[in-house]
Amino acid sequence: MAKEQKEVRDLQEGNYVIVEDAACKIDGYSTAKPGKHGSAKARIEARGVFDGKRRSLSQPVDAKIWVPIINRKGGQIVSKESDTVVQVMDLETFETVTMEIPEDVDVDPDDEIEYLEWEGKRKVLQ
Amino acid sequence: MFPGATADRSASSYVVVGAPLDVSTSFQPGTRFGPDRVRRFAGTFEDYDRAADRLFSESGVADAGDVHAWNDAAEYVDYLASVCRDVVRDDAIPLTIGGEHTVSVAPVRAVDPDVFVVCDAHLDLREAYDGDPWSHSTVTGHALDVADEAVILGARSGSEAEWERAAEGDVTVVAPEDVAAWAPPAEFAERDVYLSVDVDAADPAYAPGTGTPEPFGLTSRELRDVVRAVAPHASGFDVVEVNDRDDGQAAVLAAKLLRAFVFAHADATAVDG
Repeated sequence: MAKEQKEVRDLQEGNYVIVEDAACKIDGYSTAKPGKHGSAKARIEARGVFDGKRRSLSQPVDAKIWVPIINRKGGQIVSKESDTVVQVMDLETFETVTMEIPEDVDVDPDDEIEYLEWEGKRKVLQ
Repeated sequence: MFPGATADRSASSYVVVGAPLDVSTSFQPGTRFGPDRVRRFAGTFEDYDRAADRLFSESGVADAGDVHAWNDAAEYVDYLASVCRDVVRDDAIPLTIGGEHTVSVAPVRAVDPDVFVVCDAHLDLREAYDGDPWSHSTVTGHALDVADEAVILGARSGSEAEWERAAEGDVTVVAPEDVAAWAPPAEFAERDVYLSVDVDAADPAYAPGTGTPEPFGLTSRELRDVVRAVAPHASGFDVVEVNDRDDGQAAVLAAKLLRAFVFAHADATAVDG
């Protein structure tokens, strides 16, 4: 799994993080000051990059955490299978892959797009 | 643990969150002891509620404990809001126990209501108090950053500027003497409502253990009736501003109002069968 380790304290909103084995993007980060009994804790609220599901976690700020290494790639639409599925040719490897596309993204064959890829999951960017 | 809040967090419909913030109380402090005290004085209640014909311990209430507070109210509210958002995401209703009134902003952000209904002796519409924009006397103003409108029940105290602010269209003030006749408007059925109870809405004769007592307030029964009437429409509840400077009157009222909320809400949302 393409990932790297960081300390919770190094993360901020907009970063990626792995929560419950899913690559997520952080949209909320808040910290609690340490009391007498315990270390400072951070709460992370995040949304799955590929499934859109909301997840959260609470960890000491000095805990180690996995951050996914997500590739941002360029591709060209080869064909539209349906309103939500397209065939895309990767512009570096010329490999053709099938991926889902959000309904609100309108593309035609030959259009160039950008997409995210991690662990076989792909997401077309708007 | 709040007595009877025995549900598993994952299967609960209501989650008690203690928020013992006590940094801006402007007169008598002690709200840091509020959550503990409310839980303690709830210990004497019967599990069974006659009016609702329901056991509290079988009403799906879990207790998430207290969120440790420190001296930065704005940071604390951010953190507490995150805790409350977890509750909302799990399709449960946050029941926050203060702490000073400032803490209400956190569950309000999590619930994101259309209407903020608050029982309070004070308008709490100040932009700042003693230069502090996160003073407990600013909470309704902060709630209006999220909600479209506020209904303040039992208010009898505010600065001239606050009363002017309260005269605007997004704020409804119901005087203590008119609260008994007040009923939730019909449009509450289609709107997301949040209910906050500052225990100082009650007359100090009923709840002396609060930071800024204000005479000519509501009776315990009037407060109970408001909670029962609003609970069926509400997606979040808090009771705040209880301190430890009485013999438990404020805490026992707060605990009973929390239970009244759960019983009335559970009753209204139960699948008839």
